[in-house]
Amino acid sequence: MATTITKPDTLVGKRIKRKEDPRLITGTATYVDDIQMPGMHHACILRSPHAAARIRSINTHAAAGHPGVVAVFTGADVAGVGPVPCGASLPGLRVPHHSILAKDRVYFVGHPVAVVVARDRYIATDALDLIEVDYDVLPAVADPEKALAPGAPAVHPEWPDNIAFTYHQEGGEPDKAFAEAEVVVKQRITSQRLIPTAMETRGVVAEHRAGQLTIWSSTQIPHLMRTLVAMMLGVPENLLRVVTPEVGGGFGSKLNVYAEEALMGFVAMKIGKPVKWIESRRENYLCTIHGRGHVDYYEIAARKDGTVLGLKLKLIQDLGAYHQLLTPAIPTLSVLMMPGLYRFRNVSADIIGAFTNCVPTDAYRGAGRPEATHGVERMMDLLAVELKADPAEIRLKNFIGADEFPYATATGLSYDSGDYAKPLKKALDIVDYHHLRQEQARAKAAGRLMGVGLSTYGEICAFGPSPATPAGGWESATVKVEPTGKVTVMTGASPHGQGEETTFAQIAADELGVTMDDVTVIHGDTAVVQYGIGTFGSRGTAVGGPALYFAIQELKKKIVKFGAMLLDSDDVSFSGGLCVCNKSGKTVPLAAIAGASYRAMKLPAGEQPGMMATYFWEPPNFAFPFGAHIAVTEIDRDTGQVAIKRYVAVDDCGKIINPLLVDGQVHGGVVQGIGQALYEQAVYDDNGQLLTGELTDYAIPKASMVPWIESSHTETPSPVNPLGVKGVGEAGTIGCSPAVVNSVVDALSHLGVRHIDMPLTPERIWKLISAGGRA
Amino acid sequence: MKIGGAYTLAVPQQRAYSLLQDPDVLAQCMPGCDHLTRIADNEYEMKMKMAISAVQGLFTGTVRIADSHPPSSFRLIVEGSGKVGFMKGDGLLTLMPEAASTEVRYEGDVQVGGLIAGVGKRLIDVTARLLIKRFFEKLAEQIALQPAP
Repeated sequence: MATTITKPDTLVGKRIKRKEDPRLITGTATYVDDIQMPGMHHACILRSPHAAARIRSINTHAAAGHPGVVAVFTGADVAGVGPVPCGASLPGLRVPHHSILAKDRVYFVGHPVAVVVARDRYIATDALDLIEVDYDVLPAVADPEKALAPGAPAVHPEWPDNIAFTYHQEGGEPDKAFAEAEVVVKQRITSQRLIPTAMETRGVVAEHRAGQLTIWSSTQIPHLMRTLVAMMLGVPENLLRVVTPEVGGGFGSKLNVYAEEALMGFVAMKIGKPVKWIESRRENYLCTIHGRGHVDYYEIAARKDGTVLGLKLKLIQDLGAYHQLLTPAIPTLSVLMMPGLYRFRNVSADIIGAFTNCVPTDAYRGAGRPEATHGVERMMDLLAVELKADPAEIRLKNFIGADEFPYATATGLSYDSGDYAKPLKKALDIVDYHHLRQEQARAKAAGRLMGVGLSTYGEICAFGPSPATPAGGWESATVKVEPTGKVTVMTGASPHGQGEETTFAQIAADELGVTMDDVTVIHGDTAVVQYGIGTFGSRGTAVGGPALYFAIQELKKKIVKFGAMLLDSDDVSFSGGLCVCNKSGKTVPLAAIAGASYRAMKLPAGEQPGMMATYFWEPPNFAFPFGAHIAVTEIDRDTGQVAIKRYVAVDDCGKIINPLLVDGQVHGGVVQGIGQALYEQAVYDDNGQLLTGELTDYAIPKASMVPWIESSHTETPSPVNPLGVKGVGEAGTIGCSPAVVNSVVDALSHLGVRHIDMPLTPERIWKLISAGGRA
Repeated sequence: MKIGGAYTLAVPQQRAYSLLQDPDVLAQCMPGCDHLTRIADNEYEMKMKMAISAVQGLFTGTVRIADSHPPSSFRLIVEGSGKVGFMKGDGLLTLMPEAASTEVRYEGDVQVGGLIAGVGKRLIDVTARLLIKRFFEKLAEQIALQPAP
């Protein structure tokens, strides 16, 4: 468990700039909207302005006759297309039929009602206005707790209670633990609805030519999308090609199969021309999945000495009107991770999934784990306050010990490896915790509001063993040495900004003894790359990386056989890009071996020509990164404005392939965590109108709102895979929001403030201060 | 969204009441409205231009007068929809006599949806107040122009 020493002779472990960046920062990358084709048409989608309404009639006559319009389709036209799929399954789950265009009813503002296809986007937009829809407006409900109250409007008339599912999980003896507890602390904690806000909105281009349908889509999962869209459209899967060009951010919002992806395939087949649909930012806010949406009721049981005994959770998940690909599964991840890093042996959780007349929620950076971490980390602070204990001490007291791994949690997981005290102690050292508390006391005496907030998070990532996933949890890699000795890697993981073109090149270059420039990483085209699962849940490197590693090990066997043949020796090893005869010391380079394998003048016994290997790697377990974040805040008493004075992140994501990229992931993650903690909230009014419908009203952090992030690491390798890697894509987000909120609550605790729900807007804080701490 | 307020008109209660029920007067005073066409007793078809934030558009719909208790109160229900969304206002107007003038108190609920809700919501509150203020100012102008019958 010691810190891994970076070997100077390997590329793995080095801070190396990303191979993908030059094209991304010079405007030469190709996104979906950059695709141009002869005869291309453009689609715009009419969306419901009502959160709940019956459609009495739709008149498309004027729109269809508008000059430049080639087609208008409504729900009746797409009746033969299968529903938008839900990949998650839970016992008793109610799954509403999710047609790609509304049939006789709309369920949320933004619900697609009709599509206009025209020569250009402007004509299509104008023609949208000519469609007359006669709506019979119905009462709507936009809040999950209100949806569960008696008498609430039914989102789906067939299920008047608005309950999509309930789910119970427990471990140990929670009731006994609470009965025996000396202290019980309770708190209602929300994790508000968030809008993922990928910089590139969604977009789809579809072309149907000579019986082959090709769909270009900004997605995280090209292969899964191919399978599911083929099923929706009734197209043979081997006649559907999905291409993922550059993806300008996903954060989970593109880990999905959307109505528009099948709809554009349908349109392309109907009109016999290529068609493009590019989502506007307003559509993106209305119609692409949102994240979070929790109302959580927590109870923690403990002894007076601070030893935790049990944790109870009632979780109300705002699902929205439909299940998108993983909607109902997301809160189950919160339950799995609810014990955090602590020795909770007795836990009980109940989820109620509530339908609302809002766009569905689904995976957004962290997907279930930020909610769980926010809950348990707030509860640990509340317990510390209750017992007048130091929040660092109470955490250190309850951490699972470094000698207890693999550790079986009360929620049924097996934590792979960890040393939880290490990042916390490192973070405390970095901020000089003891002096910081003294400084805080001086600030308080001087009338200033200064807070110190800790968050020690654990996360589940590297999704995951296939039995625990809806669609398979393995990942695939192909590695080829071309006849000239150049190396081509094809990964099924479909990275989109995470930097695997760089990190996988590092791995391949080290293993094969070539330079990084000799390696090209290809992904995101189902006609080129073997089937893969995709990038989400911090799995790209943690599952795709080992798949590549094992593919290379397979290939190395072949390289050695060809090397032995060429060196005419039976004692040959491969290293540094050369096969060496261990007796004579003679060598043959990889390029010569590869060339000989394709030329195939002679073949080793039983070997095929060529130099290629493919490996589908099934992980035996998840990986469990962890870390400690500390936020030091100061609050302006007069305005309620929160300033983050210091932000320290110590993350342990196992073995680090490229520290530069890990820092980038942590920075981006922390920024999105700060967004949730301080600024962001998707607000629907009581009628289901999205009030934060564009970037002027939905406050994502700007550069000026982000502090200097002091990022460092501990390295505890994962035993789950041969690279020892864990995953870091979501860690920053998961660790961040409780650190910030704990810090602000700490700053206000002497006023009697116990808890504040996110976002911690100046208004909310100012009102608390003005009311002397009373909410 | 709840709205409420009061405005004093320099005419007696009975006169204020009949002015507020007169479709021609309403049409002239409602900002952005060019005319009201009677479609039933106490119900008129309207066309109204409205601009909120960067969004502007034409709303078509109805204006309806209900629960009339002359000369002291009635309800005004305005519903409209257009390319930029829809709006619905339902307000109770109470006329309180004050010597030679009348205080008109109003309270009601305004709902908007579609693009104007997503884009202009921050400004709807302010816009609604502004429109109501303009309505009464126009009405006051009309009163000043028209001598009492």
